[in-house]
Amino acid sequence: MLPFLLTSGITTGALYAMVAIGLVLVYRSTGHINFSHGELFMLGGFFAYTFHVTVGLNYVVAMLLAVIGSFFVGVASDRIVYRPLIKAPGLSMVLATVGFSFLMKGIGRFFWGGKGEYLSIKPIVDPAPLWIAGIPILPQQLIVLAGALACMIMFTIFFRSTLAGKMMQATAENPRAAYLVGIKVEQVYTYTWGAGAAVAGAAAVLMAPLTLLSPDVGFTLLLKAFAATILGGLGSMVGAVVGGFIVGITEALAGGYIATSLQEVSSFIIIMVVLVFRPSGLFGVYGIRRA
Amino acid sequence: MMRMGIRTLKSAALALAVAFAAPQAMAQEVIGVTDDEILIGALGVLTGPLFRNGKTIYDGVETVYNEVNAAGGIHGRKLRYVREDDVCKPDQAVPAVKKLIYDHKVFLIHGGGCSNASLAAKPEIEKAGVPWVITASTAPQLTDPVNPMIFTTMLAGWMETAGQLQRVIDLGAKKIAIVAQHDAWGESRYTPLLDAFKAKGMEPVADEELSPEATDATPVALQLQAAGADAIITVLFPKAAAALLRDMYKIGYKPIVVGGSAIGDIKGLNDAIGIDGALAKFQSLFPTKSPLDPSEDVQKWKAAVAKYYPDDEFMVWHMFGIASGQFMVKALEDAGRDLTREKIAKVLATTSVPDPDTYAGPIACTPEDHQCYKSMAWFALKDGEQVQVGETHLSQ
Repeated sequence: MLPFLLTSGITTGALYAMVAIGLVLVYRSTGHINFSHGELFMLGGFFAYTFHVTVGLNYVVAMLLAVIGSFFVGVASDRIVYRPLIKAPGLSMVLATVGFSFLMKGIGRFFWGGKGEYLSIKPIVDPAPLWIAGIPILPQQLIVLAGALACMIMFTIFFRSTLAGKMMQATAENPRAAYLVGIKVEQVYTYTWGAGAAVAGAAAVLMAPLTLLSPDVGFTLLLKAFAATILGGLGSMVGAVVGGFIVGITEALAGGYIATSLQEVSSFIIIMVVLVFRPSGLFGVYGIRRA
Repeated sequence: MMRMGIRTLKSAALALAVAFAAPQAMAQEVIGVTDDEILIGALGVLTGPLFRNGKTIYDGVETVYNEVNAAGGIHGRKLRYVREDDVCKPDQAVPAVKKLIYDHKVFLIHGGGCSNASLAAKPEIEKAGVPWVITASTAPQLTDPVNPMIFTTMLAGWMETAGQLQRVIDLGAKKIAIVAQHDAWGESRYTPLLDAFKAKGMEPVADEELSPEATDATPVALQLQAAGADAIITVLFPKAAAALLRDMYKIGYKPIVVGGSAIGDIKGLNDAIGIDGALAKFQSLFPTKSPLDPSEDVQKWKAAVAKYYPDDEFMVWHMFGIASGQFMVKALEDAGRDLTREKIAKVLATTSVPDPDTYAGPIACTPEDHQCYKSMAWFALKDGEQVQVGETHLSQ
C-alpha cells in the first residue's frame, strides 16, 4: 500500500505546490497574501474551458490564452482594487483580496455557473492509468508534477538571477527604499499581481482534468496551498513546493494508515506541530520587513 | 320627500358598496391569491454547481404550470411562479425564503432542493404558516414529525439508502462497504443507512469518509480494496464520486458501486471522469422514469420543456418538477376556488396522484404521513446513454 499512497500523495502534493507557488510569488513581491488566489485559479480554469471546449481551440493555444487572460485579470485587479490601497494598512489589503475573491466567484457563477454539475476538460493525454513499477499513475498527474517543478525552477531562477526578480524582491523588502533607488514600485506591483494570476491560470489549465471546475473550486485549494506555504515558510519558493508535497503525502498516509476521516485534517495538524517548533516554517525567514 | 329619496339612495349605495367590498376584502385577505392569479414561490438553488437541484427542477414545475395556464388555469386563476436562490447554503436560504414570504407575498412555497438550505428555511416557513410542498430536499426531519403545512414529493434520504442497500443485495453482493461525506446532507443518509444494515442483520465490511471537495480518493479506494468489498454504497456528491470512481479504476479495483439521487447525471459523471469503463458497474437511483422513456407520458413533457426552455436538455431533474407540479395542480383543483392556506394544506394531506407521468410510482399523502413518495428507479450507463435498469418500491 505504501508505494501507492506515496505516489498518490506526491501527485496531489504537486497540485497543492502549483497553487502555492503563485501565493508565494505575490507575497515575495508585495508582502501581501492574496486570498483571492483560489478564485484566480478558478477563473483561469474557466478561461481554458471556454477557449478549448466551448470555442474549440487547440489545447495548447487555449492554455496560452487562458494564462494570458489570467495575467490581465491580475493586472486589472491591481489597477482597480489594490493600487488605491497601496498606502493603506495591511489589513485593508487582506480585506480587499477577500472581497475580490467574492467578486470573482460571482463572475464565475454568472458566466460559467449553471452549465453542469462540474465542468470538465479532458486530459491532454490518454486518461488511462500508467503502471510504473507496479504502481498506477494517471498521466495527467505526471504532467502536473512536471509543471510544478518547472514553475518552481523557473521562478527560483527568476528571483535569483534576473533584474526584474531582484527588483520585485527589493520592492517587497522595502518599497520606499526601492522607490528611492529608481525602481518603479507601482509597475512592479502591477506585473506581480499579473504574474501571480498567470501562475494560477497555468495551474488551473494543468489541473482542471483532475479537479473538475466549478465556481467554488478555488477555496479548498487555496486552503491547502496556504497550508503548504505556511509549512514551507512564507516567502520561500522551495518551501512552497516542499510544503505542498508534505501536505499531499501526509493526507495520503493518514487516509491510508490511520483513517480516511483524517485525510482532510491531517495536514493542518502537522502544520500546527511544525509551527510550534519552527514558527517561520521549514524554509522561511521571520517575515518581510515593510517600510 | 326629496330628502328622503336622497337618503334612501345613499343608503342603497352604501349597502351595495359594502356588499361588493366584502368579498373583495375577503379575497385580499388570502395572501398570494387574487381574482385571476395564484402566486407560488420556489425556494432553491438556481446558480452554482448544484443548480440542477433547483433551477432545472423548477423549469419542470413551471412547465406544468405553463401548460395549465395555457388550458385556462385552475378555477379561473393562472399560476405564477417566482423563484429565489438559496445557493444551496443555509445562510442564504433564510433571506431567500423571507423574500418569498414577505416581499413577494406568495400563497404557498413549492420548491426546496438542498436539504441543508431547506432545513435552515423551515423555521421561517413554519413561523409564517405558509404551506410548503418540497420538490427535492431529502432530509427526513423536514416532514417527520408531521407538520400540517409541510409535504414532500421527493424520497427521504433514509429511503434512498435503504433502497441502495436493497439494490446491492439484489445484485448479489455479499461484502458491502460504505463511502460517505459527513456533512448534514451526508449524515441524513448515513445514519439511516447504518440502521438499514442493522435491520438486515448485516455489517458493512468498510466504512470510509470522503470530503465533498476531494481531489484524491486513492487512500479510500485502497481501504475498500483491502476490505475485499464487492459492492460500495456511496453517499457522495458528484465531484467526490468522480474522484472515487476514477481512483478505484486507477488501481484496478472494480466493484459494484451504487449512488444516490445527488448523482442525477450519469453521463455528466462519465464525462467528468473521462475514462471509458470507469462507470461499467455503477448505478444510481432516481425517483423518476428514464428521460429516454419512449412512452407518451414522458415524451409529451420532454416536448413541453423544449417549448418553454429551449436551452434545457431534458433530464431527470425536470421530471422531479413535473411530477411534483402535477401533484400541486391536482391539490389546487381539488381545493376549489375559495382558497386559504389552511384549506390547501388540508387538501394536500389527502391528495393522491396514482400514476404521475414522470415518476416511477404514486405520490400519495395522508394526514399521518406527509412523506408522499416512496418509489425509485435504477439507472446505469449503457452504450453511452443513461438507461433504466430496475425499480424498487418501498411500502407506503
